Amino acid sequence: MTILRIAGGAVYDPANGIDGEVRDVCIADGRVVDDVPPGAKTIDARGMAVMPGGVDIHAHVASSSVNVARRLLPEDHDRDPVHAPSLDEGVARSGTGGTVPTSFSTGYRYAGLGYTTVFDAAVAPLHARASHAEFDDTPIVDGGFFLLLGNDEYLIRQIDAGERERAREYAAWMLGAAGAYAIKIVNPGGIERWKRGDRDRTELDTPIGSSRVTPRAILETLVDTANALRLPHAAHIHCNNLGIPGNVATTLESMRATSGRRAHFTHLQFHSYATQSGKTGGWRSGARELIEYINAHQETSCDVGQVLFGPATTLTADGPVEYMLYKSTGRKWVNVDIELETGCGVVPYTYEEKSAVSALQWVIGLELFLLSADPWRAVLSTDHPNGGSFAAYPELIRLLMDRTYRDDQLKRVNQKFLAGSALADGLSRQYTLNEIAIVTRAGPARLLGLRGKGHLGVGADADVTVYLPDSDPSRMFATPRYVVKGGTLVVEEGQLRRAPAGRRLHVRPACDASVERDLRRYFDQYATVSFDNYPVGVLADAPQPL
Amino acid sequence: MSINRDVAHVTCLGCGCSCDDIHVIVRSSRIAEAAHACAIGVEWFGDGVVPQRSIHAGRDVSVEAAVHAAGELLSRANRPLVYLASDISWETQREAVALADALRARLDSVTSATARESILAAQECGRASATLGEIRNRADVVVFWGVDPALRYPRYWSRYAPEPAGMHLPGGRRSRTVIAVDIDGAPNGRGPEDADRRVRLTAADEVATLTAMAAIASGRVTDGRASTSQAPPWQLARELAPILVAARYAVIVADAERDDAAGARPDPARASALVMLAQTLNGPTRAALSTLRGGGNRSGADAVLTWQTGYPIALDFGRGYPRYQPHDGTAGACLSRGDVDALAIVGAPASVTPDLRATMSGVASVVIGPRASESVFAERGIVIDTGVAGIHEDGTAVRMDDVALGLRGVLSGPRAAAPLVRALREASAR
Repeated sequence: MTILRIAGGAVYDPANGIDGEVRDVCIADGRVVDDVPPGAKTIDARGMAVMPGGVDIHAHVASSSVNVARRLLPEDHDRDPVHAPSLDEGVARSGTGGTVPTSFSTGYRYAGLGYTTVFDAAVAPLHARASHAEFDDTPIVDGGFFLLLGNDEYLIRQIDAGERERAREYAAWMLGAAGAYAIKIVNPGGIERWKRGDRDRTELDTPIGSSRVTPRAILETLVDTANALRLPHAAHIHCNNLGIPGNVATTLESMRATSGRRAHFTHLQFHSYATQSGKTGGWRSGARELIEYINAHQETSCDVGQVLFGPATTLTADGPVEYMLYKSTGRKWVNVDIELETGCGVVPYTYEEKSAVSALQWVIGLELFLLSADPWRAVLSTDHPNGGSFAAYPELIRLLMDRTYRDDQLKRVNQKFLAGSALADGLSRQYTLNEIAIVTRAGPARLLGLRGKGHLGVGADADVTVYLPDSDPSRMFATPRYVVKGGTLVVEEGQLRRAPAGRRLHVRPACDASVERDLRRYFDQYATVSFDNYPVGVLADAPQPL
Repeated sequence: MSINRDVAHVTCLGCGCSCDDIHVIVRSSRIAEAAHACAIGVEWFGDGVVPQRSIHAGRDVSVEAAVHAAGELLSRANRPLVYLASDISWETQREAVALADALRARLDSVTSATARESILAAQECGRASATLGEIRNRADVVVFWGVDPALRYPRYWSRYAPEPAGMHLPGGRRSRTVIAVDIDGAPNGRGPEDADRRVRLTAADEVATLTAMAAIASGRVTDGRASTSQAPPWQLARELAPILVAARYAVIVADAERDDAAGARPDPARASALVMLAQTLNGPTRAALSTLRGGGNRSGADAVLTWQTGYPIALDFGRGYPRYQPHDGTAGACLSRGDVDALAIVGAPASVTPDLRATMSGVASVVIGPRASESVFAERGIVIDTGVAGIHEDGTAVRMDDVALGLRGVLSGPRAAAPLVRALREASAR
């Protein structure tokens, strides 16, 4: 294991209150240490910025649904061949990129941006094995996934029966059986309604087959479960009515439904659409209302889900959204209904400056960032590959840090829905390097409850990125000079040199054995996989402490 | 040492149904019974006795010597082909793709010879589908389109649909409408015996009928044809489409695996028309297309190739990165052009389609897989026997609906396949 001194860089370690102070970062045995002996390998980081490795709180990188998207898009891969990197150590594999890169390319490219931890935000329990296999082939980054439970038939039955405690036990069992890290809720109840053929909007109190089962009840149950189980991350919530004008009311209602309780609202941009009064078909930004709610409620957090112009692939468990996109774009469409659990939909998509809706989406994301009062609780994501690729993070950072550039870009886009938008009216804020360090690593790590990540204090995982400052922040963040992952120097002089395997981040909460007895009966009646074959088994990495 | 044991919840890879409720009874180190398995499953498990040989130039050699010779052969090749046959786990398939990448080889699997049309149709248009349990729990109308699952997927009927009770169909078979579509002129194109409704059409009218059904389901047919045309496709479409549209959840079951033995021909237009009908039905109701796939984890190869290369079948690493060549880069196309000078088959040679196997037997070859020593390749090539994934090896395999399942090896067997393929990669490193 490398013993290393990263010497003389300006360190941005917001979790420890260090904002650009010149100091050394020492590494031994895969962790940050106080000091290393003289003669240890030294990286001369003078004039450079040193940060913890990036932490992606929400992306789609390793799941059966991601693979559904990959399979759908040969043309996307054709355009972006990837040669195997020339490595000193580790697995060097070729692949393809595009909006949904192959597993090896995904690991290399994240590391190449200075990211060392990535979570897949949506995995059906039935497909947990597939996610683990894909993560096994995604080198360098530590990875984990969030488990889709917001449309689960067993859970819905427990809610219907008033058995919230059993619902909690079930969630605990499922997390352990799947080797997952957190609870994910996607369009609570709405996917089940789509499967049943109900096409109208799903609001917080829409009954899902029974008046006792509503999106509100599902949200409450799972938010409380995540907190009662002391999971490191709050319930990760994709609200109802994604992408629909007027959905800001649904989102606000969902926030209020969980008020006072730790909850994370994901890709908030896609849930921030208001309508223009007196005009049919008119959209406008609802960003201010939502981010002001987050600002005022310490227990809530969000990631933005920024849209960036160019090709994207929309892929989500939210089947009805993809049907809507298929009908509105006429592009190819995959839907897979996943038994007893959730759904899956994929439609390729392009965000265009000349499109009024794309422009509004782009503006809303930036407004959420720029109106956020607490970068620790409004962190960076593009919902890769939905709003754009993770490869576009440097471009997004430039938009946040450089007002002139941002204003120039704003002039280029369709203005139709921008009347009254805060960004159009002028937002002068520019993110500092310290704030960028918060929204890309310190903040996500804290929200994820990853004690060893997102900071450079003694004992932290030795995940470190060294950037060369540049007048163009997108160049600075696109090509770090050095990246250290778990103590291994993976990027040297801007070149990928080593590709060690990443670790798996997962939890295994205790649960009452009685839930297993009941589940066995349920599996016998309705499932097509034997109960005994359902859990993924023991993983190589130990579960995270709770 | 003679072993007796009973193993429950074993996954069968005899066909793509991948039933995971098999109870295997081992007596004296042989499989005495595979309870719950269908006839295909019983045959797939057999007695579990497999050869354990490694052969080079017609003589038995050590595994190490065979791997070494195989590595030399592949490292000398200019246009190698790595071919994924059946009965290997995801773990082995992952190693096989790594081998192809390292060799800058062509790479293909059984899928391109048997189910390419449905793969390409899904890339062209997408698909509307569901996992098998969703079909079991929701499908109130099930159309068997030119297929009787009893022939090649025997337990589809009892495990998925229409027989079992489902969450939203407590009456099981009674609560579902089964429609058999018999395709005259298609090999084994008759639907199941037990059907509530049966229609017949000719193979020549198949695509037109599917398209007409989609047109009616979309509600966009405005000229008179929909209501008046006496052409058989329109007559049939008028009969069937309303039943599907009135369903709560309609499922169309079609065989994606070409029945070569029965003389089937590939039909890309049919594959696309099936996809588009299922997609279109999601306007007026909910619907899914259930594409039947064969066993031995062949769908698993599609998944592994896709996450590692971006493409499910037929690609070429010749330029140092994967290039997709689903038309002229399939194993069949390359071999028939004489564009392969060394072949590495990973998996059971018996799963390779007979015509392809005949073409392959003329090429210098390495085979790592179950019963390799009993294949035609043993006469001239290098062969190393492995166990069968799911009988002699644990690991992961994929059901026809892309659900990954754990495998339980019930017997000890020859050397495990995945480490052998890794060793071959190392031996062939140039």
